[in-house]
Amino acid sequence: MLKRLLLTFIGLVCLGNAWAAPLEVVATSSSMGALVRAVAGERATLSVLAGPDRDLHQLQVKPSMIRALRTADLVVAIGAELEIGWLPPAIASAANPAIQPGREGYFEAAAQVPLLDAGGAADRALGDVHPIGNPHVDLDPVRMVTIARALAERLARLDASGAESYRRAAETFASAVEQRLPQWQARLKNAPGVVLYHRDAIYLLDRFGVPLLGTIEAVPGVPPSGRYLSELAAKLKGTAGVIIFAPYQASKAPTKLARDLGWRAERLSLEPPLKADGNGYLAHLDLWVDAIAPRP
Amino acid sequence: MQKTALAAAMTAAFLAPATSVAATDPEIAELKAMLRTMKQDYEQRIQALERRLAKAERATSAAQESAQPMNDAASKPMTAPSVSPPVASTPSPTTGGFGALTSGSAFNPQISVILDGNYYHDGIDGAGAALVGQAFQPSGGHAHAHEGEMDAEHSHGAMQNGFNFSEAEIAFSATVDPYFDAAAYLAVTNAGDVYLEEAWMQTRNLPQGLRVKAGKFLSDFGYINRQHPHQWDFVDQNLPYLNLLGDHGLQDTGIQLTWLPALPVYTLFGVEALQGDQELFGTTLDEVEQIELDLGDTYDGPRLWTAFAKVAPDLGQNHALQVGVSYAHNNQHQEVQTHAHEGEDEVHENGFAGDASLWGVDLVYRYYGAGPQGQGDFKFQTEYLRSIKDLDVRSSPHGELIGSNQTFTTDGLYAQAIYGVAPKWALGLRYDVLGLTNEVSGDRDESYGSSDRWTVDLTWSLSEFSQLRAQYARNDILVAENEREHFDAFYLQFIVSLGSHGAHSF
Repeated sequence: MLKRLLLTFIGLVCLGNAWAAPLEVVATSSSMGALVRAVAGERATLSVLAGPDRDLHQLQVKPSMIRALRTADLVVAIGAELEIGWLPPAIASAANPAIQPGREGYFEAAAQVPLLDAGGAADRALGDVHPIGNPHVDLDPVRMVTIARALAERLARLDASGAESYRRAAETFASAVEQRLPQWQARLKNAPGVVLYHRDAIYLLDRFGVPLLGTIEAVPGVPPSGRYLSELAAKLKGTAGVIIFAPYQASKAPTKLARDLGWRAERLSLEPPLKADGNGYLAHLDLWVDAIAPRP
Repeated sequence: MQKTALAAAMTAAFLAPATSVAATDPEIAELKAMLRTMKQDYEQRIQALERRLAKAERATSAAQESAQPMNDAASKPMTAPSVSPPVASTPSPTTGGFGALTSGSAFNPQISVILDGNYYHDGIDGAGAALVGQAFQPSGGHAHAHEGEMDAEHSHGAMQNGFNFSEAEIAFSATVDPYFDAAAYLAVTNAGDVYLEEAWMQTRNLPQGLRVKAGKFLSDFGYINRQHPHQWDFVDQNLPYLNLLGDHGLQDTGIQLTWLPALPVYTLFGVEALQGDQELFGTTLDEVEQIELDLGDTYDGPRLWTAFAKVAPDLGQNHALQVGVSYAHNNQHQEVQTHAHEGEDEVHENGFAGDASLWGVDLVYRYYGAGPQGQGDFKFQTEYLRSIKDLDVRSSPHGELIGSNQTFTTDGLYAQAIYGVAPKWALGLRYDVLGLTNEVSGDRDESYGSSDRWTVDLTWSLSEFSQLRAQYARNDILVAENEREHFDAFYLQFIVSLGSHGAHSF
């Protein structure tokens, strides 16, 4: 009797394993989560460490992150020091050799594409600067295609039996982006420009040639002074544009500047919703295009 | 083969003049102009390319030169820059970019220096900062054994009214090789003494969630024990840690094994074997005193053993909770207690020897408000410590006492809450108490009162790298059996961090 129960149990465990997704993936942000869903689909169980309302640079380590990393086969980070404050200590505490930087289980999106703003002075008088380059690559759909293909290759190394499916999914994502690019280009062709809080959406602006008219903060990571803001307002007076800031950035300065200039100020997350997949990511870019595109 | 080539060349030679003859003079001029512009065009392009190449080369050594710092956002290009020469950021096609992009320099360890200084004032001529670490408990091996040693000099509590420089902490950390990480933390005091806070190596590669750490380190007992002073939410350490474990907490030399099993919730187990050279919890006296007081030799290490477990359920994006229970046992504790009888000049010394145990329970709850710069964040943290020293009287002027057993029990609790009242501003409140139980039992029965204090502080984090803090505390300290000291203490503290980005640990 006991033996039969045991056998049934073992059988169930084996079946469970067979049904379970072959890979356990941890994404640091919802954009990376969307990419993992797009490329790996059902072949990966996914946990996303930070929601779209979080500042990925300021985040703190939580024990639940360490737990998720403990059994992960792959961690997908945006990288280039964006998660420097919490991901390295969380990985170090997770006692999981497979996901340490330098191993196959560690994937940085920023390491797959050329970066903007690289090579600045390493001087913190200029704020919280990162001379390695601007890490916010995930708002550029074209770079995201490159990243998706690199991710597919990485997944294929970790799970050879799914290699074809990963590559196919990456190409599906690539063609979805390609399909939308002309519309986005057309809509953003005559966009007057954007004032950002932080240089965090420049990859999107750069991709579509939209001018960055200024940033609310004078230097990265330091809130603006009143004088700096009035100088900015004086400089932009009489021009057209839109102010976009993230949910975790203080709304006071952007809304005041918008009032002074008669512009729109939009609160828009850099990251797509927590549950977004490839299409969710593209829909999130639609929101950005809507916000930036000139109003009739 | 050669023949055909020759023929082709000859045909071309004959044909070429024919075509040029056909061309008119203006056409020739036009062609010449076109060639000229083409030449110029190409020269310009080549020059531009050369400039870009030179720029890229400069950029690689930009750290030293820092040729043209970006002054502010206004002086930056009005459009987002076009794709810059990808200097260090080119993905390597061979590795496919397994690594982490970092501006940390090559093989040097990550270095940071943390400066911690303050202005202090209390109502009792500056004695207060030391007094909070000397709250009365029946077992008090206070610094008696370590007088003149480094420990006594490098005391975090040694403040004077006025300006104090607590310490400059210099931290190095790096990956040693595929097998180990290592770190070293040095504290340089105001007097210029260098004190080794921590120096350890830790495994990277063990399977099954196991990790081993070896060297000198802060024990993972409890919650606050492993934090360095600059990581605290208040200027000073809480009363239970300060009085039961001393200025440095459980900081010792030894080995730690932790296990993070793959359970559905975060669960960490750990054990440590440590030498046992403690300031308060398991001290041993020097050889002369040991002979004088008949206490016996210092045992071989490891003498201090700890075990701890921490559990943290996943409460989603906004919340985190961790509870822990810890136990420590030092199998040797020696102390000498002095007393004088009324009307006599002679000071009597009783020598005690035995062992010491410590229980700890901790709970930390955090709420992440997702507001700008910590606004709306909340952290509640509480710990309970209970120290039990089971000692025998080994020597005494009162012969009848020798051989008697006395158990010294002192406990303590702190609870503190920090709330982000505005971007960059956090308000903190702490209550700490020592000696809810403060007694001797066994062959002697006595009980004493407790010491407590209320503390409020306001922390202004100007950036990730600098912090200013104002703190006020109302102290009620039991300094002797029937003597209390009530006083106010005020701190203004600065902490700045130079060098590599600090960790936002839980």
